Amino acid sequence: MSEAAKPDGEAEALFETVRLRYGDRLTPAQLEELRKIVAAQVEAARALRAVALTNADEPMQSFAPYRGDER
Amino acid sequence: MIFTPVGELAALVRAREISPVELAEHFLERLERLGPKYNCVVTVMRQHALTQARRAEGEIAAGRYRGPLHGIPYGAKDLLAMAGAPTTWGAAPYKAQHFDFDATVIRRLEEAGAVLVAKLAMIELAGGMGYRQPTASFTGPCVNPWDANAWTGGSSSGSGAAVCSGLVPFAIGSETWGSILSPAGYCGLAGLRPTYGRVSRHGAMALCWSLDKLGPLAQTADDCGLVLDAIAGADPKDPTASERPYRYETMDDKRFRFGLIPSVTEGCEEAVAENFTRSLGVLKKIGTIEEVTLPDLPYEQVTRTILQVEAVSAFEDLIGSGGIASLTAPEDRYTPYAREAILAQDYLKAVRLRAVMAREIDRVLRHFDALVAPGRINEAPVLGQEFRSAIGATAKDVMGAIGNGAGLPAVCVPNGFGVRGLPTSIQFMGRAWEENTVLAAARAYQSLTDWHTRHPKVD
Repeated sequence: MSEAAKPDGEAEALFETVRLRYGDRLTPAQLEELRKIVAAQVEAARALRAVALTNADEPMQSFAPYRGDER
Repeated sequence: MIFTPVGELAALVRAREISPVELAEHFLERLERLGPKYNCVVTVMRQHALTQARRAEGEIAAGRYRGPLHGIPYGAKDLLAMAGAPTTWGAAPYKAQHFDFDATVIRRLEEAGAVLVAKLAMIELAGGMGYRQPTASFTGPCVNPWDANAWTGGSSSGSGAAVCSGLVPFAIGSETWGSILSPAGYCGLAGLRPTYGRVSRHGAMALCWSLDKLGPLAQTADDCGLVLDAIAGADPKDPTASERPYRYETMDDKRFRFGLIPSVTEGCEEAVAENFTRSLGVLKKIGTIEEVTLPDLPYEQVTRTILQVEAVSAFEDLIGSGGIASLTAPEDRYTPYAREAILAQDYLKAVRLRAVMAREIDRVLRHFDALVAPGRINEAPVLGQEFRSAIGATAKDVMGAIGNGAGLPAVCVPNGFGVRGLPTSIQFMGRAWEENTVLAAARAYQSLTDWHTRHPKVD
């Protein structure tokens, strides 16, 4: 087996969670498509993980404490 | 009246050379006669439109002119709630859905005197389930008025087809990633993606809370500014709607400083790249063009990850219940399940990187009025075939990833035709809240070109 064709353990594990949860709804062909989609998602995640951030790098989304009588 | 820009129609309405009722009747007839040909209409709002048009006519006759949209017909993407009409979200499971209120955008346009004549077709759930083909709507694929074998783009497909075929003077679309610029580009229209938060999303279907924007598609960039003027502004019903005031200003005679990513035409069809190069020659008449280098960041992965996770959360009821099995596109019936395998830490990394991306792109953009790029990488896809998309990771769209991920405004206008005779386009993307600047650039470009005056044969 070539290096490129080696199964990706992380992608396979994540695909397995999808299969366990929803496999009874899906055809073998759909499951095979999902396997490829999950693998692509893992590739995207690795691109994200490859960028170093610091403790100060916060998400740019705001949360505001809520008081209904002040809206 | 067909293909007449909103600004020109408004002058005729104000001078009482055309009546709003005449206008409404004219476009209603076209919607009913030609809407099925382009498969772009979900609901024709005949009674509602005539009621609004009569009111507008009476007000104008009484000297109470509200502004340039008074008495002007328009269409709305069918993800905007409106009392008294179905709001289908383009999806079979929601075909019979009704709301008892109007979306803020619908209400604002009513306040401006505009006349809603139709709710327009769209890709099911605004394309957030992973669709790969034009048929992904319970109403079927929208047909591009330039070529019956070509698609309009999506997800604001009906908004593109209806404006392009002269069934409405302007339409409202939405963009999470590409859904305004895509149909505008493929149909040869002007399409404006406003800054995130410029326009209230109250009453619009939520696909991705932190990415969804509403904006116009019209014949010209100038028309987009007139529409944005009416729909922008704060809204207590949408906490993300900004308090920043907006008034459309044309910025005539401005000289521009354009930024250009050197690799921006990589992956484009040859004709798209050629037309873009020719457009740069036009832009040199109104400003300067400088090459820019963007920091090396995973822009597409950032925006795609956020989009995918928010979309499956927004529709967790439909996905969890298995209701997606009744969606039209086969891939929409299973792709969302894969999104549940995206780890929370990876999603949060994307959200944190988004902040870096927003800061970095603003650092670049502060030296420019706009970055310029092809609006689309290709001519409109062929009906009946799968297409390449950045959301599906089968095509590159760095500008779209940055613009949507960072919430930046962009306007797309036609800049020529490709080998199949379909429109190509150029986009101008600016700093946050700089809609007037990007519109001024597009307007200046359109003042030197005539691509926007060319229209398909539709009757």
